Amino acid sequence: MSLPAGTATARPAKPRPSPVVPLGIVAFLVITWAALFEPFGIGLDIGALADSITRGAGIFGELLDPNWEFLPRTVDPMLETFKIAVVASVIGCAVALPVAFLASRVTAPNLAVFLADRSLLSVVRAIPDFLYALIFVAAVSIGPLAGVAALVMFNIGVVAKLLSETVDGVDTGPIEAARAGGANRMQTVRWSVLPQVLPNYVAYSLYTFELNIRASAVLGIVGAGGIGNLIFLQYRFFNWSNVSVIVVELFVFVFIIETISIWLRRRLV
Amino acid sequence: MTVARPERPSSLKRHLALLGAALLVAWAALTIGIDPAEILELPGGLGRLFYEMFLDPGPDWAYLDDAIGFTVEDGAFELTTSGGMIQSLEIAWVGTVIGAILSLPLGFFAAKNVSSGLVSNLIRQVLNAIRAFPEVVLAIAIFIPIAGLGPVAGALAIGLHSVGTLGKLTAEVVEGIDPGPVEAARATGARPLQVQRWGVLPQVLPEIIAFWLYRFEINIRAAAILGVVGAGGIGFQLQQTIAFHRYSLAGTAVIVVVVATILVDTLSGWLRRRIIEGAEARVRGEVVEQPEIADVAAA
Repeated sequence: MSLPAGTATARPAKPRPSPVVPLGIVAFLVITWAALFEPFGIGLDIGALADSITRGAGIFGELLDPNWEFLPRTVDPMLETFKIAVVASVIGCAVALPVAFLASRVTAPNLAVFLADRSLLSVVRAIPDFLYALIFVAAVSIGPLAGVAALVMFNIGVVAKLLSETVDGVDTGPIEAARAGGANRMQTVRWSVLPQVLPNYVAYSLYTFELNIRASAVLGIVGAGGIGNLIFLQYRFFNWSNVSVIVVELFVFVFIIETISIWLRRRLV
Repeated sequence: MTVARPERPSSLKRHLALLGAALLVAWAALTIGIDPAEILELPGGLGRLFYEMFLDPGPDWAYLDDAIGFTVEDGAFELTTSGGMIQSLEIAWVGTVIGAILSLPLGFFAAKNVSSGLVSNLIRQVLNAIRAFPEVVLAIAIFIPIAGLGPVAGALAIGLHSVGTLGKLTAEVVEGIDPGPVEAARATGARPLQVQRWGVLPQVLPEIIAFWLYRFEINIRAAAILGVVGAGGIGFQLQQTIAFHRYSLAGTAVIVVVVATILVDTLSGWLRRRIIEGAEARVRGEVVEQPEIADVAAA
């Protein structure tokens, strides 16, 4: 576009600023202030916190001096944590597959099933993994079964949610083609939808496996098997040099698993 | 003339990998030490528990204010200091805010395209290291010794873990930007910080804020366990009621957790969609009255 020489163009008027952004910032500040300080908040007192940093010094001294003789006693619980994560991942991801297909408009047979599955899924997702562990420990007993069951529920929530969103976004061409070819619903899902979402499904499964390693280390705190029980016991008895052995071990372990998983995900997707 | 079918690509490697995975799973399942009889007990035990929690005697609504975390004494509304869902939400919120504030600059330093190679590698490793520790471990090993028992330790633990996850996501978003605006900012003589402020930040901020909200949703769940180790929130009530077989109280607490979490998820999900697609969606809604705005947005 060219203008005749000598024409001065007026700057277009600035759009009026939206009130949403400043309102959002004010709301954010009010909520943060209320959550932080008395009378309603968690009671953060920065002065007292700064003073008490030295109070932790003795404990940190012990933490920085790990008692490596404790290491052999941690091997079995750590292995149990790993096994719980493996078994729970396999079961959870397998169950999540049909749950995810029923939770997407693209593949759900009808609206009622879709809505029922969606609502169930949002309740399953709203319960934190540790609450599942508490419930299963109360329902059966202390031990790895409660841990596996808790993580299975947790995995169904994560994988089914992610996968159903992926299914929502598939290319509908192959579905049409399969229907035109006379495929029934199962066949359509098997040959038109599944191949499209399979790489994502594998990636989500590996991702939840990583989450499971970390989660199963924690669930032992409420008696669901694995290393968590040991770390909680040592913490209860203030054996900080033993706590730090487990923390270091857990760190190395999670790091190795994550490295392998990321490498696998990159190769597969 | 017949054309020979091309040979199938070898799938030996894939089969070997699958076999290895199957063996690993079989080993884990067989040596984990779960008694099959116990598995058969699971549905019955779960059924009994749910029956007591939700049907007979069912949730005890007198426990509702404890589970939510407030008291009303002489007409004065006060929040309790020993756990409750409101405290869990506060821990999650404060933790997310700490994580967001610290992870924003760290994420920029960790992004390969706006930072130098050495710095980005270093920060990345630090972020990976932080992420390896679960929140409750951070609470036990670092923040309870410093801040003592209570929700402050919990919030700091959630905050530190969030720095790890949010920093990584921020770095990934920054690495995916359009280099055009950065070049344009540089061409006008912007200093490095100004390039980040005007060339990068506007591109990545909506997505990063969406991640913050998403992290808040996750942190609510993560905050639940902190109550068990004495770091605040509804985990304390959940653990106490279930450990002492007060299942009708536990039923109330579970309902509070589920309802509060779904409410926050819904609100946060709506906000996230609004932030990612919001501006465009609003403009599309006004197309009839103000076509010129739609044109500006499309350009």
